Amino acid sequence: MNDFSELENELRKLRPASPSPILPERVEEAMLENCRVFAAADARFMAKWRWRFIGAPHKLALGFGLAAAAVLLLLAQISREERGSAAKESAPVSSVMATRPTSANEFIPAGATQVVYNPRDEGLRFADGSQQPLRRLRYQTHQTWQWRNPTTGASLRVSYPSEEVVLVPVSGQ
Amino acid sequence: MENIASHEDWKSCFSEVAPGLLLFARQWVQSAADAEDIVQEAFVKFWRRNHKIANRPLLYAAVRSIALDVIRRDRRRARREASVFAEAEPAIDPQFELEDDTQSALAAAVDSLPHDQREVLVLKIWNELTFSEIARALDISQNTAASRYRYALASLRKSLQPQ
Repeated sequence: MNDFSELENELRKLRPASPSPILPERVEEAMLENCRVFAAADARFMAKWRWRFIGAPHKLALGFGLAAAAVLLLLAQISREERGSAAKESAPVSSVMATRPTSANEFIPAGATQVVYNPRDEGLRFADGSQQPLRRLRYQTHQTWQWRNPTTGASLRVSYPSEEVVLVPVSGQ
Repeated sequence: MENIASHEDWKSCFSEVAPGLLLFARQWVQSAADAEDIVQEAFVKFWRRNHKIANRPLLYAAVRSIALDVIRRDRRRARREASVFAEAEPAIDPQFELEDDTQSALAAAVDSLPHDQREVLVLKIWNELTFSEIARALDISQNTAASRYRYALASLRKSLQPQ
């Protein structure tokens, strides 16, 4: 590399052309513009997330409120149906009920399903004060209830997950 | 090293590197105005991303990348970097502030160098990057950077020898 040291010195004496005097101003302007754009973007980002975080409890409250109202309406409807069924002594839930004369606002049970999708054997247990072993079975299910208004043809269906624990006496083992 | 983004006097920083950056950008574009556009964009991008001045190979890599984008965008023909280099035309605006005929001959000799040698020479001589930094800026190996530099100097010496 030493062979070229003289040539390197000559090259270093060559001065690159200077930038135009307005270039630093242009760069400064671009930087300021950049800052403004980023500040605006940050503000938008913060506003969005503030709404998400602060707005979340309101939205949750609204969701819970609606869910609670739906459950209350459902329970009221079921209770009314049960009272009506008891009075008329018509217990079975079947399509026969759909033929029963009803008022325009009356819904009658039209079906119920229970899908077990996760049965689990939790082993043997002893109930308090008992010598007899019990096998505890836990079922996770998905239940669906359906009501129908035969007059208007409108139907109402409610589905929800549920869990059921069954204790089965073990004998003869 | 100081961070350019938090550097209160970024102008002094810029004025220090701007001539070398412009010269580097001029390896791809003919006009000084285009080169200034490229340098401005690269410097602002570098500053915005909060890079440290110690990472200056990134600054040169940004200049190079933006310059190649400009060429591709404007000419709408170059698909590969090699073809861009092959089609690059000699500069029109002077790249150096020349004082005498000797310097003119030297500048002309630099202009006539193959592109890959010239960009290494520009980074080494007028931007004072190490071979390691040049390798990072150009995405080549350090040995390649060093050998291109030696070839450039050998070519210059040969072209400057009296006939």
